Amino acid sequence: MATVQFSGIVKKFGDNVVLNGVDVEIKDHEFVVIVGPSGCGKTTLLRMLAGLEEISGGEIRIDGLRVNELHPSKREIAMVFQDYALYPHMTVEENMSFALRLRKTPKAEIDARVDEAASILQLKSFLRRMPKQLSGGQRQRVAIGRAIVRKPKVFLFDEPLSNLDAKLREEMRVEIAKLYQRLNATILYVTHDQVEAMTLAGRIVIMNKGIVQQVGSPIEVYRKPANLFVAGFIGSPTMNFMHGTLRLEGEHLRFASGDIKLTIPPYLLHDPRKHDGREVTVGVRPDDVLVGRTAEGCSDKVDGVLEVCELLGHRENLYIKVGEQRLLATVEAFFDRSPGSAVTVCFNYKNMHVFDKATEARISE
Amino acid sequence: MEILRSIYEVAGFIVLIAFGVAALEGYFYYHFKCHDKPWFLPVALAAFPAAAVVAAAAVLGDYQFRLWFYFLAAEALIAAAFRYAIKGRHTVPYLLLAPAFVGLALLLVYPFVFEVYLSFHDLKLTTIMSWKNTGTLPFVGLRQYYDVFTTSPLSEVTFWALLLRTLVWTFTNVFFHVAGGFALALLLNNAIRFKGAYRTLLVVPWAMPQVVAVLAMRGEFHSQNGFVNIVISKLLEVFPFLASLGVAPVQWLSDYPLLTCTIINVWLGIPFMMVVILGGLQSISSSYYDAADIDGASYFQKLRFITMPLIKPVLMPAVTLGTVWTFNNINVIYLVTGQAGGTEQADILVSALYKAAFTYNRYSYSAAFALVVFALLFFISVTYLHGFDAAKEER
Repeated sequence: MATVQFSGIVKKFGDNVVLNGVDVEIKDHEFVVIVGPSGCGKTTLLRMLAGLEEISGGEIRIDGLRVNELHPSKREIAMVFQDYALYPHMTVEENMSFALRLRKTPKAEIDARVDEAASILQLKSFLRRMPKQLSGGQRQRVAIGRAIVRKPKVFLFDEPLSNLDAKLREEMRVEIAKLYQRLNATILYVTHDQVEAMTLAGRIVIMNKGIVQQVGSPIEVYRKPANLFVAGFIGSPTMNFMHGTLRLEGEHLRFASGDIKLTIPPYLLHDPRKHDGREVTVGVRPDDVLVGRTAEGCSDKVDGVLEVCELLGHRENLYIKVGEQRLLATVEAFFDRSPGSAVTVCFNYKNMHVFDKATEARISE
Repeated sequence: MEILRSIYEVAGFIVLIAFGVAALEGYFYYHFKCHDKPWFLPVALAAFPAAAVVAAAAVLGDYQFRLWFYFLAAEALIAAAFRYAIKGRHTVPYLLLAPAFVGLALLLVYPFVFEVYLSFHDLKLTTIMSWKNTGTLPFVGLRQYYDVFTTSPLSEVTFWALLLRTLVWTFTNVFFHVAGGFALALLLNNAIRFKGAYRTLLVVPWAMPQVVAVLAMRGEFHSQNGFVNIVISKLLEVFPFLASLGVAPVQWLSDYPLLTCTIINVWLGIPFMMVVILGGLQSISSSYYDAADIDGASYFQKLRFITMPLIKPVLMPAVTLGTVWTFNNINVIYLVTGQAGGTEQADILVSALYKAAFTYNRYSYSAAFALVVFALLFFISVTYLHGFDAAKEER
């Protein structure tokens, strides 16, 4: 297995800069998920590593070897495509063995490797079938099998689950997690789905507009998002944002945004004097918006009106209007209030995030 | 005033057509609406054959008893179909389709049936006058078919020699059409500048009326003033050693007529294949090529293992069409070698057929000949289509 280094990667299509200085290092045996909205350049980055896209600037190294000019087949990588790209005129077996046959690998070894991959992926009974005779999930497994057979240094997955329906996607997600435990390979996985990123990744690379926003373990990017974009992108439902100003009142910083007035505790912002008058955005995840009985013990309570309730089963989403601001709270199921009733809201300060309004960077601890 | 008369004539013709269509629609409307009335069959059988006989007598100017029989039989069939099979369903669609269907029947079915009739009788220059006077032809059974295989449609070449020549001609042409079209399509499928301009230029021979294109090319093969021989002589001046390899200006049209026809037809046929194959190439998802790149396939391996198999479902119908067109291609050969008195060295089945019918006036013989050619082509097409189905299965 292998390490991968991206240093200063730039990609331009004409005058259009798609990637602007990407620096990421992927360690041996690591499962790294690149996540971002569509058009952020994540697939382009993957295709550049695969050698399917020219590199406009910077350097890619696999195991320390510069691969910028290397032909895709010489990079010892294997890629699973979004549309699987299974050769439609070849059987499953022929699809999986195609690369080996091109390299004139001995027949016995080809058979052994295909057999091994097929048994890992439970494809043994489908080897003689054509791709179009398979279901979406089976095709997906064949595409993965085709990658495994080649024993590559790095596996590349390009949004592999986005063509599957929701239930199958969950199943395949678990399959891929199990596969990773079994192969213990270096995997680079591109997706726009933050759930896939959170559940599969050892480390997440969050990208937007061709720039890496944050690199870290799933829990790091969830608990300490580096900027507004990451805070809004990771976590479901999306974080609540409140725009307002900080004012020093006595020893404490007070945050005011319309009808919402909060005291920012010193463990969030260490040096209160420094932040006096600063325009900030405060972020609170829906789980940390406390409503009703759980809000009774709080100091800074806010009065709001319940607009809509969405019962999800074990949890319930509450859309609450506070002045001009709308807040989403996720609470235990059966919040027994009808829409239109007044509710008391407060926030869990420990999990609150403060971002500078101008730079959008995180300023709280 | 001349122009006014033309306008009257055209208007009269249009009115005639309109009356014809109206009569047709009324005829079908009656069958649709009254099929379940108890008096439907007697009325239909009495009225329509009588009307048809009167109309035929008025148009043709003479009356024959057997017309009654024909019209009665036809009407009995039609009325029975309406009463027991169609039963008044889908009235509007059928009424809308009727004019087109009857037109097609007149243009396609009638000539075909007449051709079959001719092939079992003997219509030629010596019997045509008696046919005109009496309306009857001697019945000869399968003799015309026997003659097709034993006597020459022209003055010397036999059917079998013609068949062999036609097969060679068809195979050579289709082979070069596909090969040339494929090569050009591969070139055009790359990201090159002025692609649109190249494509337009390459499609010109196909877009031009074939008569114009063939006659223009025929001029270029002229032994003294043709482009081809001029280029060859200029080349010989610059590279004299070519002469020792046997390169020299030749009498294309009289010494190598079939080769000349083949070259011209290849030139004419390439654009069609190119356009079809280019369409096929563009429909192949680029991710197959990405996957093949990662799998380590070279350019030719991608061509062999990805492009070829995936282009097959598009190529097969085009090749079938191309085969039929080339097999039936009378234009090029007739226009290049000329008609009566021209060389027979370049004749293929259909051009010989044309000459047999309209130069040698052997109508029944050529009707049988045409049906044999039809059977051959039918067989070839069905074979191709089976292959096509198999290719589709694979995809």
